[in-house]
Amino acid sequence: MTAQPSMSAPLPPERATSGAAKLVVPCLIGALVALTLGIYGRLHSPTGIAINIAGFSSPGSVKSWLATAATVLALVQVASALVMYGKVPRVSAPSWIGGLHRWSGRLAFLLAVPVAIHCLYALGFQHYSTRVLIHSLFGCAFFGAFTVKMLILPKRGLPGWVLPLVGALCFTALVVIWFTSAYWFFSTFGIKR
Amino acid sequence: MKRNTPLITLLTGAALGVVLLIASMMSTPSKAPAGYAATATPTAAAAAPSTSAPASAAAPSTSAPASPTPTATAYASAPAQANYAGKVQGGGASVAISIHGSQAIAYVCNGSTVEAWLKGTSAGGKVVMTGKNHARLTVAYDTGQVTGNVVAHDTRYSFAVHTVNKPSGLYEATAVVRGATIKAGWIVLPDGTQVGSLESDADSAAPSATAAPMLDVATGTATFDGVVLHAIPVSGLTGSGF
Repeated sequence: MTAQPSMSAPLPPERATSGAAKLVVPCLIGALVALTLGIYGRLHSPTGIAINIAGFSSPGSVKSWLATAATVLALVQVASALVMYGKVPRVSAPSWIGGLHRWSGRLAFLLAVPVAIHCLYALGFQHYSTRVLIHSLFGCAFFGAFTVKMLILPKRGLPGWVLPLVGALCFTALVVIWFTSAYWFFSTFGIKR
Repeated sequence: MKRNTPLITLLTGAALGVVLLIASMMSTPSKAPAGYAATATPTAAAAAPSTSAPASAAAPSTSAPASPTPTATAYASAPAQANYAGKVQGGGASVAISIHGSQAIAYVCNGSTVEAWLKGTSAGGKVVMTGKNHARLTVAYDTGQVTGNVVAHDTRYSFAVHTVNKPSGLYEATAVVRGATIKAGWIVLPDGTQVGSLESDADSAAPSATAAPMLDVATGTATFDGVVLHAIPVSGLTGSGF
């Protein structure tokens, strides 16, 4: 994957740019992602239907379970990050912790994508209640924040607080999304498949 | 190589998203977006019912062709039994719709003077309901929600509301107090909030309403003017209230 000139151009490896300056382009791209999702969700007339996964009673339950799985994996993310950063007393990071962190993150992201597509295509960006408005805003913001996280991960020489901060933003957004959707769904309709 | 793995993750997710989006577009019936856009956008179709309803009592004949074009084929099939409730767009009122077989009862209420009880029949994925004071409501089914428009007391709302389960939903209470029939309605939303109005002359052809007393959802009672009102849920699931 070295043949990505457009993406690797803004990150010359050994240039002595300040840490904060390296954040500008990823943050702009992340903001663009969030805005694109929000504008698409607002402009596209919701269809009410999208492709569905067999074996569940409704799109709502599919999405709730996928979102719940992603949120559980996000908890794994926080736990493994704490271990990696040595923040858990008397636990030294095992060699596999990095792999666990990477793969749980990838899986969580890939689980969240179909949910987001269904939201955007079938339901759209809505604001008819506080819950729905918060969900719409954080839904768009999450993918922006995640994009920023992925783009700054390979960068060297960032201030130490940047990755934990962006990671925490992703986690917080995901939990807010989960609370305003899956938690609401399960508490309204019952925990069902 | 290793430095770019986060980018691969990102691109994989984006590719998955694009594939799912295209698959969704291909699986959507071609008529659905047009019909849905007509119901969702409060523009052309919206103006016709609200202006024609006060003009003539025979509103159905004029506004039926003007109403959006949600054909039965384009939508999720109509549920036999369902309860829907939620706020209208803009949040100025709540609407509750209960479907029990072919019968449909709806109530729209702003917690004060704008309210209407509506009845109608459910057929082919579409419901048209009418009520006193030229109230009129049209809905189209969707998965887990209904969308539509309602006119009550010359006020027009559009809505997209989801299914609700007990104790959320629609409640009604009727009683005869000092010779007058009073009828109260409450819409209880999933977050526990409620709005309710009370018609103090429910038998009249054009009843006027005021804010209803708070409904105690646990006991199903409310106290109006020293009289205890016993509310019953209007539920399409149980048939209560139909």
